[in-house]
Amino acid sequence: TKQTASESEEEEKEEEEEGALRWKEGLQQKASEAFLRQQEAAPNLRKLVYGSVAEAADSEDEEEELGGLFRVSRPQNSKKFQANALDCSRFNPDASHDWDLEEMLNSIRDCFVTGKWDENQ
Amino acid sequence: MASHRLTYDGCNFFRQRLVLSTLSGKRVKIKNIRSKDDDPGLRDFEASFIRLLDKVTNGSRIEINQTGTVLFYQPGLLHGGPIEHDCNTQRSIGYYLEALLMLAPFMKTSLKATLRGVTNDPSDPTVDMLKSTALPLMKQFGIDGEGFELKVLKRGMAPGGGGEVFFTCPVRRTIRPVQLTDPGKIKRIRGVAYSVRVSPQMANRIVEAARGVLNQFIPDIYIHTDHMKGPNSGKSPGFGLTLVAETLNGSFLSAEMASTPQGQGDPILPEDLGRNCAKLLLEEVYRGGCVDSSNQSLALLLMTLGQQDVSKVLLGPLPPYTIEFLRHIRDFFQIMFKIEVQKSSEDSRKGGDKILMTCVGVGYSNINKTIK
Repeated sequence: TKQTASESEEEEKEEEEEGALRWKEGLQQKASEAFLRQQEAAPNLRKLVYGSVAEAADSEDEEEELGGLFRVSRPQNSKKFQANALDCSRFNPDASHDWDLEEMLNSIRDCFVTGKWDENQ
Repeated sequence: MASHRLTYDGCNFFRQRLVLSTLSGKRVKIKNIRSKDDDPGLRDFEASFIRLLDKVTNGSRIEINQTGTVLFYQPGLLHGGPIEHDCNTQRSIGYYLEALLMLAPFMKTSLKATLRGVTNDPSDPTVDMLKSTALPLMKQFGIDGEGFELKVLKRGMAPGGGGEVFFTCPVRRTIRPVQLTDPGKIKRIRGVAYSVRVSPQMANRIVEAARGVLNQFIPDIYIHTDHMKGPNSGKSPGFGLTLVAETLNGSFLSAEMASTPQGQGDPILPEDLGRNCAKLLLEEVYRGGCVDSSNQSLALLLMTLGQQDVSKVLLGPLPPYTIEFLRHIRDFFQIMFKIEVQKSSEDSRKGGDKILMTCVGVGYSNINKTIK
């Protein structure tokens, strides 16, 4: 049994070496992929808030004319935000959160004093 | 001078625009207000809001065109003092009060406002919620002391109204910068279950149901029942619940629900209301941060108007209302916030991602305040 153990150890070593070599392959590509993944996951909030407001599309161009006299008036559903929507500060909850599930309840347990504390607290 | 005028489209974010215009002194023009609607122009509640703004200021110029689709507003000085206002019952007093909270610290003399109308409805933050979250938040910015209170004298549910609240706020020359980066853990949950013109037992049934959900997190829960009678109970029946979670570092997160107004859809059972409201509070805890989601814009405004120093506040996810408010702050005060996402780690069970907002205040000083 000793023999087999040492053999398997050697195999493991070889695998490790191979693994180490494989790990070095295409580092740059992996890094760029990881960077892109992170970029997708964390949208640039600053751009989201301040960047996308430049194009205030002129609605007049979009209006169709009928016989050169009448204009087709359409509700502004297509706009990014509704200019005439209800002015209300309430933030409606995320519908995907089901607070009957144990999993969901567990996700906030440490927000309470009864939850787990960090070591430095 | 033309460059000092800002122009907007539509009636959305109406209050933000007028409040920021008043504070910055910049004129504002809002056009195309419901211009394609069957019933175009300003609604009664917006007209009521403009009248309230006219009462607290001195020398404002307001022009509205014949159909009410274009509004021009040139702000005057914030005067304050005792005012009375009958708020239109299409929206609750919370709608008007949210704007007053933003303006009140910058008045000439301290504001003593008596507001009449709907105190609680399902769509706007109720006076109970503002009392328990907005006021402690303002205290963090140094707006505190004698005569800072919000009292519900009479409760009036939608649609009839008939409620009355009294709000006083001291004036400040400058606003203190804050560093609210760690909310701390939630130490207790408080709440008010109110009922008017229905059986007082309703409030108890709400409390029972809400406790059932919240007790699995924390034992320190006290929900006060408030049943107003006779002339203090307004014109319409109804009930509701406001829950507030208080953290070790003095942040307040809240959630609330009110019963469906009489004759507007399916009635709701008090048990369901209590349970759903408790779940809304859990949702709010999941979002987290140092400021409750409906008070984000108030916090951001006070950060902007602070002394020329760095302010930091940790928030939960930003709702569209706050995002638009940030854009308006840039328009009126040329302040842009630094926005950083703080990812929640896999093993910690502290809800969703948080957002750290950083800015340097404009060093706004209240020129209206009288020097004694």
